[in-house]
Amino acid sequence: MTASPYSPTDYKTDLKPVWCPGCGDFAVLNSVYRALSDLHIEPHQTAIISGIGCSSRLPGYVETYGFNSLHGRALPLATGMKLAAPNLTVLAVGGDGDGLAIGGNHFMHAARRNVDIAYFMMDNEIYGLTKGQAAPTTPSGDKTKSTIYGNPEVSVDPCALAISLGASWVGRGFSGDVKGTTELMKLAISHHGFAFLNIISPCVTWRGDHQTKELRAKLAAIPADHDRADRTAALRFTSEPEHLMTTGVLYETQRPTLIDEMMEIRDKAIGQAPPPGREEILRVFAPAM
Amino acid sequence: MHDLTFAFVGAGGDGAVTAGDIMAGVCASEGLHVIKTEAYGPQIRGGESSATVRVSSKPVYAQADAVDVLVVFSWADFARFQNEVLLATDAVIFHESADAPPDEMSSRTCHAVPFAALAREAGAPASKNVIAVGLLTARYGLPLELTRHAISRRFAKKEAAVIEANLRAFDRGVIQEETLPQTGKEQLEYTSSEPRLLMSGNEASAFAAIHAGCRFFAGYPITPSSEILHFLSEWLPKIGGSSLQTEDELAAIGAIIGASFAGVKSMTATSGPGLALMAELLGLSSIAEVPAVIVNVQRGGPSTGIPTKSEQSDLFHAVYASHGDTPRVVIACSDVESSFHATVDAFNMAEEYQVPVIVLSDQSIAQRRETINASVLQHEVRERRMATPDDLHEYRRYRDTPDGVSPMSVPGMSGGMYQTNGLEHDEQGRPNASFNVHEAMNAKRYRKLDAIAERYPLFDRFGAKRPEVGILCWGSSIGVVREAIAHMGVEDRVGVFAPIMISPLPTHDLQSFIDSCGSLLVVEVSYAAQFTQHLRTQVDLPRAKTTVHSRSGGKTLAASEVEAELRTLLTNVSLEVLA
Repeated sequence: MTASPYSPTDYKTDLKPVWCPGCGDFAVLNSVYRALSDLHIEPHQTAIISGIGCSSRLPGYVETYGFNSLHGRALPLATGMKLAAPNLTVLAVGGDGDGLAIGGNHFMHAARRNVDIAYFMMDNEIYGLTKGQAAPTTPSGDKTKSTIYGNPEVSVDPCALAISLGASWVGRGFSGDVKGTTELMKLAISHHGFAFLNIISPCVTWRGDHQTKELRAKLAAIPADHDRADRTAALRFTSEPEHLMTTGVLYETQRPTLIDEMMEIRDKAIGQAPPPGREEILRVFAPAM
Repeated sequence: MHDLTFAFVGAGGDGAVTAGDIMAGVCASEGLHVIKTEAYGPQIRGGESSATVRVSSKPVYAQADAVDVLVVFSWADFARFQNEVLLATDAVIFHESADAPPDEMSSRTCHAVPFAALAREAGAPASKNVIAVGLLTARYGLPLELTRHAISRRFAKKEAAVIEANLRAFDRGVIQEETLPQTGKEQLEYTSSEPRLLMSGNEASAFAAIHAGCRFFAGYPITPSSEILHFLSEWLPKIGGSSLQTEDELAAIGAIIGASFAGVKSMTATSGPGLALMAELLGLSSIAEVPAVIVNVQRGGPSTGIPTKSEQSDLFHAVYASHGDTPRVVIACSDVESSFHATVDAFNMAEEYQVPVIVLSDQSIAQRRETINASVLQHEVRERRMATPDDLHEYRRYRDTPDGVSPMSVPGMSGGMYQTNGLEHDEQGRPNASFNVHEAMNAKRYRKLDAIAERYPLFDRFGAKRPEVGILCWGSSIGVVREAIAHMGVEDRVGVFAPIMISPLPTHDLQSFIDSCGSLLVVEVSYAAQFTQHLRTQVDLPRAKTTVHSRSGGKTLAASEVEAELRTLLTNVSLEVLA
């Protein structure tokens, strides 16, 4: 491998993260720096888009183009950006509440459309920025500030959703495993299509110090013989027994991306003919005589 | 006769709308001015429909209040359109002879025509509408050969036998006209001239976007704006652009903000309910200073309201939507041609000043087809102020400048990198929660509106120089007001001021106009008189001399409503003079 023209620190801005000491997102940020460096990604040819939440602050800490947008709306912005500038490397990042609750509808459609972007979901099973309410990923029965009698709802597995919705690459990582997460990010960014990486990223403030320890104890690497192209096999890793959490690439397939389809549409619309001028388009409105 | 309004009314399958299309196309080809509107029953498909076509040798500004020539295939269907199709006192009616006119038609000129039987004879039972077209073409002196040609074109995709049967039906209609009483027959007087283009307000907005350089559109289907999505999804791919049908309106405006951030001129189109969903992202476009054009085609509201009918009741929403202090521009369309100009201006302002711009149209403009002039293509297109190499030296994306506009970099530009956000931010785009930065950035963003107001003081001003009565109106009401004044012949006594820029309003010119008028009349289609209220926040509109004509939508504003108000006001003026 040739040396990268950019070291991981080249991607650092001088903004200091607002995260709490011990937050899993620091490690995720480090993995982002390393993955971009390893892939030799040109900072000015890259855009990172987020929604709102602790983890959505991430674009401000990466020296690329960045857009910390609105709660839940990272994916529509990223989709528009990619369609406008197909050569850009576009990353969407955010939390589990941002992507699964308020932005859940967009998750479905970005996956279905196979927009050629990588989406990193930093999953801490809680709302951190608003100080400790239940998220769609909070385990059933858990006591949080908004579920003081225990969470009455069943939680959702983001990877199960992604696979069902048509994401063409789905992986799961753990923030504490910087090396492993970096490798998964590199695969996700390099994937041709919508790549969803669920990164378990503990929240020491609202889920307690024990969360990291408990999660670490559950970690298991995906078996070497797992067939990534097998959807059913992939889904098995999204309903694991409580003591297990498998990380790695769960699912991967190749199908045309939204950009591929748009190019195909342009071809159908016009083929090799020169694009019509404004006068020619205006003639559509000349009464049919 | 220089100005004539035809209407066709029938059940689904009677082809009322097709008949209207053919007549409108023929008249536009002859160089006549045309306005065509349609009305439907609530059924998704089928059901009663009506088409109204006004043709004139002189420019027309609104649909006529009443119909001069009516073709009725079914009286039961006609009864369902009593609010849409009003008859002139001297209207001439051609009705299906198998369906006797109701009693209330007894005093009117009714000609029974066996449309159904003639269509069967012609070998095309579904061609009652073409029989009617033939009959009217002959009766009112429109060119027979041109209309025959228009019919062949209309059915060009059908089998040759179908085209021939329809041409036979047309000829049969022409012959039938000779059998009708010829007394009182009047023909349309005009000199044929260059063909005019015929398009809807929605098509004009969509085409304007292409003219202005838009290469990305995202939208969610909603009545009455979907034709914009349809047009752009067909044409953008042909010119290297793309169109995306999103999952909702939040995604639509989100996608265009993303595309615009990446440097591509972008637009979305919606109606009131969609604009409501877009409100938060409108604020994002405003604070992140990413150009965005949003066409909002008003319909009856609130909530689902009356989706298929017009109202001018999204004015507050357009002017004030989104939380916080959110500068945006609102520009109005008043007819089809102005839909083109307003949309190009919207792009010019959005791009040059990095603001969201809302184009306010309404159903009555957006879905009527009207003749326009091809010279619209002369409308100048302006570009975004991009960062130069000098700007990129120690680049500050939100550098405070005299007019508030900071040169913008886009992804791909080396040295132009910045992280923007919906959080308040400093000149570099970094989140900042201090009062000083917030105050300075608000001032910078609002300063752009001052620059826009100065550069684009857009309004219509016509009629008397020192009006006895001054009319204030906007959007689709302008054409109706113009018709009313012309009909009364009071151009020397009544003056009109109609802002095209709704926000920021051209306050200086507006106030001068108000001050120069004897009395004032505000005309608008909003129960809560939103336009009047909006004016009151910006200018001194003296209550003692102001009359407000405001009512709900759901029925087209008629010139007669304005005329009634004017008659009262002008009489009062005359009485004062006498006293």
